This record gives sequence, structure tokens and C-alpha cells, in this order.
Amino acid sequence: MSAQRWLASSAGLLPLVGLLGLWELLGTADSPYFPPPSTWWNAVELLNASGVLLPELLETMETFALALAVAIVVGSLLGLAIGALPPLQRATSPLVEFCRTMPSAAIVPVAVLLIGLGRSMAITVVVFAAVWPIVLNTAAAVRSLSPVLHDAARTLGLPAGARVRKVLAPALVPGLLLGVRVATPLCVIVTLLVEMLTGTGGIGSLLVQAQRNFISAQAFGLLVVVGIFGYLVNSSVNLIERRLLRDWPPRATAR
Amino acid sequence: MSTVAHAQPAAEGAGPPQPPTEEQALGYACRGVTVSMPGPRGKRAILSALDFEVEPGEIVMVVGRSGTGKTTLLRVLGGLVPASAGTVLLGGQVVSGPPASAVTVFQDYAHALLPWRSVRRNVALGLEGRRDCSRVERDQRVARALEVVGLAARADDRPWRLSGGMQQRVQIARALALQPRVLLMDEPFGALDAMTKASLQDQLLEVHGRTATTIVFVTHDIDEAVYLGDRVVVIDGQPGSITQEIPVDLPRPRDQLATKERPEFLELRRRVYDAVGGVHGG
Amino acid sequence: MAARLRWLNLSGALTMITVVGAWQLAVDTGLVDLDYLPAPSEVAQAGASGLSSGELGSAAAHTLAVSLVAWLIALVVGVAAGVLIALWRPARVTLTASVEILRTLPVVAFVPIAVLIVGLSTTMEIAVAAWAAMWPILVNTRGGVDAVPARLHEVAAVFRMTALRRVRVVVLPAAAPLVLVGARLGLSFALIVTVVAEMIGNPAGLGYQIVRLQQALRPDEMFAAVVVIGLLGIGLNAALLALTTRVAPDMFEPGRRA
Repeated sequence: MSAQRWLASSAGLLPLVGLLGLWELLGTADSPYFPPPSTWWNAVELLNASGVLLPELLETMETFALALAVAIVVGSLLGLAIGALPPLQRATSPLVEFCRTMPSAAIVPVAVLLIGLGRSMAITVVVFAAVWPIVLNTAAAVRSLSPVLHDAARTLGLPAGARVRKVLAPALVPGLLLGVRVATPLCVIVTLLVEMLTGTGGIGSLLVQAQRNFISAQAFGLLVVVGIFGYLVNSSVNLIERRLLRDWPPRATAR
Repeated sequence: MSTVAHAQPAAEGAGPPQPPTEEQALGYACRGVTVSMPGPRGKRAILSALDFEVEPGEIVMVVGRSGTGKTTLLRVLGGLVPASAGTVLLGGQVVSGPPASAVTVFQDYAHALLPWRSVRRNVALGLEGRRDCSRVERDQRVARALEVVGLAARADDRPWRLSGGMQQRVQIARALALQPRVLLMDEPFGALDAMTKASLQDQLLEVHGRTATTIVFVTHDIDEAVYLGDRVVVIDGQPGSITQEIPVDLPRPRDQLATKERPEFLELRRRVYDAVGGVHGG
Repeated sequence: MAARLRWLNLSGALTMITVVGAWQLAVDTGLVDLDYLPAPSEVAQAGASGLSSGELGSAAAHTLAVSLVAWLIALVVGVAAGVLIALWRPARVTLTASVEILRTLPVVAFVPIAVLIVGLSTTMEIAVAAWAAMWPILVNTRGGVDAVPARLHEVAAVFRMTALRRVRVVVLPAAAPLVLVGARLGLSFALIVTVVAEMIGNPAGLGYQIVRLQQALRPDEMFAAVVVIGLLGIGLNAALLALTTRVAPDMFEPGRRA
């Protein structure tokens, strides 16, 4: 059964594979706009051999990971406060909406002027862009905490610390993780964005450099690298979420 | 949220834990209890100048139409809601915050249980981290409570895999594990089908027969009220107050068929129906 | 009256005013003395002069126009593709896996590619913004059509509707709430990617202005342009929301925002 399903789902890859195959056959290696896929691999290999690829990849990963960690901490604390105090939610909601809908690209030059180039600027921008799903989902989780759950903890005589640790906090985990799941691809995108706009390092800078130097094969190759990076990150987050939530009832809406 | 200095339950001896005896059971004495809650148009009184007593070891059934404050009364007894005026005494001590000797069982069992814990660990929740209960003793009490409700075989399952009736039994087991002297039950069988309800009613009576725990039980179901109770208390009016108290003199042990066929049962049933429906009509 | 006040969200407005006021105070009193942090008053002034000189206005118009065009293209392609994949089995089987891969590729990485292929031009902006906006529209349309109850399909069959008529009269209206969610997401994506494209590639529009002003070390004008972008985002979102509630007020839960 699963072999059948695997076959069925990989049938969906045919267009992509077919397109790439066609491209490979029809393209010429020195086409400036559409170098065939085989040249991509060579170009990336070249970068790797010259010792450039790996450090930049590492830098992107570090920036992404740090920013995600900060976003989770800041976002969950903010979300807790907003969810627990309805007046605070009403007071901050226009401000939150404004910040949330502000295109993160526009923040980058502001951050560069105020903080300067470097990792702290990059992390600040990424956190500013990606913290909101975590805030909103955590706040929603706090608001939807069942009062019965809290009453049950009280009637069993649990002291306040145990109530929070054993009952209230675990109840918030699914909502928090949902926010993290939405924030993660956002972190990837904005990290790349910052690197592309400021050229200070990371895969994003390499990509822009390839464009500026008109090395199309390298640009396409790096696009694939970026895609793989994003895929691995999302898969990891999904795996972590599944592991953490294995005791919970399955969520009604997957995806 | 103030932490209440709970009276520690009597230290258990070396052997298996003893359920509370007649002398250890506790009763309630409430005088002039008023409860007001903030509402859309200022404070609204839910209960007003209510006098209420429960003898130790008694089963008191609280009935009344929706919105009359039955659940609020139970929450006051359980220390979940403070009385705006009047005194609430449990075993002679003022109730301010959930008392150590009383446990509330809620109607919404799905949200009262922790979905990420197994049944066993749910039942153990109230016993964890208590200085007067060792790990070994805790495991014993949990196992015993699960046996009483008949769920020993499902101890390692997640609650959400169980049926509604089973989940409610888990909640009851969780309460029983604490060996409380008072059980406060808020329409616990309201969401269950008739057969499960009957089975749980009898299990509750059995537990009461063995431990003589004081029980205050809120219900919509008048048959249930007469079947289970030593006394039926009717709440009515807005704000609510006690309009009638009807002693139930039926012999124990009760039986789902035999007791309900007795003419006394039918008469009591009729009296309670009249008391609940009759006062303000409609 | 109380309900109207609630809708205005007085405390929210107050918070915004307080934040701006505190910012002004901090800069005026020298409490916060970053080289490149202008006071709100300076930003407002720069904005006013930018508008009167027409510079800010034409840049905003460019960005707005590009975003809207890209969004409309994405709407047509995304809705069509979403409906097709959801309803036509061959399309679903052959396209699903590819869609899943393509849509998770970070869209910003496509901007340098687009610059390489299409060059520095408005066409490039539109192309890459449309590509970015298409995916949420496609995914949400697919989801919306998937969620149409089978019963409605049966009704269409009973009335012997042609496929096109079925889509137009039954499927799309039923899927509309989710399609509109996708449309709103797509609109904001289009705006974001347009700005990115202007910052990296095409020297036109608000994105280019911001970069230029940053490099020229003119923070007050830069901030003004950033504010305009933010207002553009909010305005577009609000306009779409107003349009949809005007057109189909009963389709959504009352009072539902976001």
C-alpha cells in the first residue's frame, strides 16, 4: 500500500523532473540566461572547492537559529502577557498589526542606519519580522485555556507553582508550537533577505553576488541550495513538533 | 491569588491508607451566603442570603432550573469562588480558597483531564509533590482508585482515547485518590448516556457506602436526585436561594430497579418536580 | 455608543499616540541620541516635503501599481491553477508534489534570478512579485475548493451543469472565504516582494527610495518612505477587506477580522 502511495505522490514530481530534463537537453552550457541544470552543480561545486560555500552556509544557519531562538523567547513572553490581559491586548493590537504588516525588507535599511551592519542587526530584523506569529498564536492559546482546567488544578490542591508548571504551561505548548511552525519559514526568508540586501555574508550575499557577476549557473545552483536548506529546516521543525506533541490528541487540521 | 494554609490531612499510619471514617467526615455550615459577580450592567447577585447545611457523611442533592446558581453554590463550597457576604464553614473552618478536604468533580471531563498525561498520571496529579505522601503510597492510592472505578486496565492510555463515561470515571478516580472527606460534584453524569449514568451512580453509592464521604451533588436530573440523595435541596429565584428541602427516606442500599418502583420514590419524585417547576411557573 | 467606542479601540489609539510621543520626547530631550534616529516631527516634515515635491508620491504610485498588477496576475493564475488541481484528478496527481516543492522555495531567492533573466526593469518586479503572490492564492484556493461539501457537487450534477458553470456558480462561491484569505496573503506578499525587487534590482519605487536615502544618510526622508510603505500595506489590506465585506457581507462570520 505504501509503495503504491509513494508511486502516486512521486508522480507529482514528473512536471518538475520533466522540465529540468528538457532544460538539460535543450539548453546550451554557455547560455547566459538559462544554463542547464548540470552546470548548476558544477558551479556550486566550484564554490565549495574554493572554500567559500560552507562558511557562508554556516553563517546563514547561525543567524537563522539565533534569531529563531530569540523570537521564540520574546514572542512567547509577549504572547503570554497579551493573552492573559485583555486590556493589554486591546491597547497593543493596532501597534502589533502595524509592525506585523510592515514589509520586513523596509526595516533593513532602518536597522542598518540605527544598528550598523553585522549579526546583531540581522538578528534584530529577523526577530522583528518573525516574532508575530509566535505572539499571536501564544496569545490565542492563553485565551483558549479552559477555565475548567485551571479550576481542576485548584481543586486538587496544587500550589500556584505546580499549577503553572504541570497544568497551564503544558496546555500552551501546542499553540506555541503552531506559532513556531509558522515563524520558521519566515525566519529563513528574512535571514536570506537581510543577507541579500546588505551583502554582509551568508548564502543570500552569495546569491546577489552571483547575480551581479552574471554567473547564472551559480545563481541557480545557490537557489537549489537555498531550497534544500529551507526544506531541511521545515522538516526538522515538523519532526520536533511531532515528537513534542506525541502525547497530545492529533490536531484536527494538519498542515 | 492567595495561598491558603490548608489543614494537613491526618497523617496516615504505617499500613495501607485508611479511608475517612464517620468521625472524620466533614460537614458544611453556611449562613447568609451572598455571591455577586460582575456582569454587563454592574454587579449581579447570583445567590442571596442563602443558609445551607450539610451533615458529615450525608449525600445532598442540589436541584433547580438553569441559571438559579446551583453551580455557583458548589463553587463556593469548593472554594473556587469567594462569597461576597456571609460565612461558609467546612468542618468548623472558614473556606477561603479550595480546601484540602474537598475535591470538586466537573461536568466538563474532557477539559478537566490533562490530555498529555496517561490516565494513571492524571489520577496521580493531586498527590504529586505532597510531603505527606511517599512515592510508594502515591502509586498504591492511584492503583486503588483506578480499581474502584474499574479502569485499572486502561491506566496507561491517554484520556482522549477513552469514551466519555470512562473519562468521567478517571476524573472521579483522581478525586478519590486524594481520599477527600467531601466530594463536590457538578452535574458529573450530565453528558453521559443512560446506561453509563446508571452504572456510575451505583459506583458512587458503593464508594460512599465504604467511605462515608460527604457528597454535595448538583444535578438537573430529578430521578437521579431522589435515587442518590439523603436530602434534596431546591434552589430557585434570581438571585437564587433555597426554596425547599426534601428529605429522602428511602432505604439503603439503593437499587436502580427496586428502589425506583417503590411508591415512596414516585411520591418524592413528584414533590421534587413540583418544587422545581412550580414556584414561578413557566 | 459604547459599541462604537469599542470599535474605535480608544486604548489602542492611545498606545500608538503614546509610543510616538515618547519617541519624540526621547529624541528632543537627547535621551536617545542615535546618529540616525530622527524625531517623528522630522519624519513628518520630510514626508510632507517629499509628497509636495512629488518624489514620494510617484515612488509610492510605482510600488502600488506594480504590486496590484502582480497581484491581479497571481490571482488569475493562482485561482485557475488551484481550482484545476482541486477538481481535476489528473492535474492533482501530476502537479501536487511539484507544487509542494516549488511553493516552499523562499521567494526572495528568486529576485536575483529574475534580475538575471529579465534584467533591471519593472517587468522583472511584476514577474517575481506575481510568482510570490501566486502560491498562497493557489494553496488557499485549492484548500477552499477541497472543502466544498460533496453535496454541492451532487447538486450541480443533478442540475446537469457544465464544468465551467459548476465552477462559476457553485464551487467558487462556496470556496470564496478561503480564496479571499489567499488573496489577502497574496496581496501582502506581492507588496513585500515588490519592495525587495526595488531594493535589489529595479531602481524605481519606494524600495529603491529607501535604499537610496539610507546610503545618502538622510534618515528622516528614509523613515518617511518606510512609514508610507507600512501605510500602503495596511491600506491595501483594509481596502480588500472592505471590498469583500461589501460584496459578500453574509459570507463571513460577523465581526470577524484578521
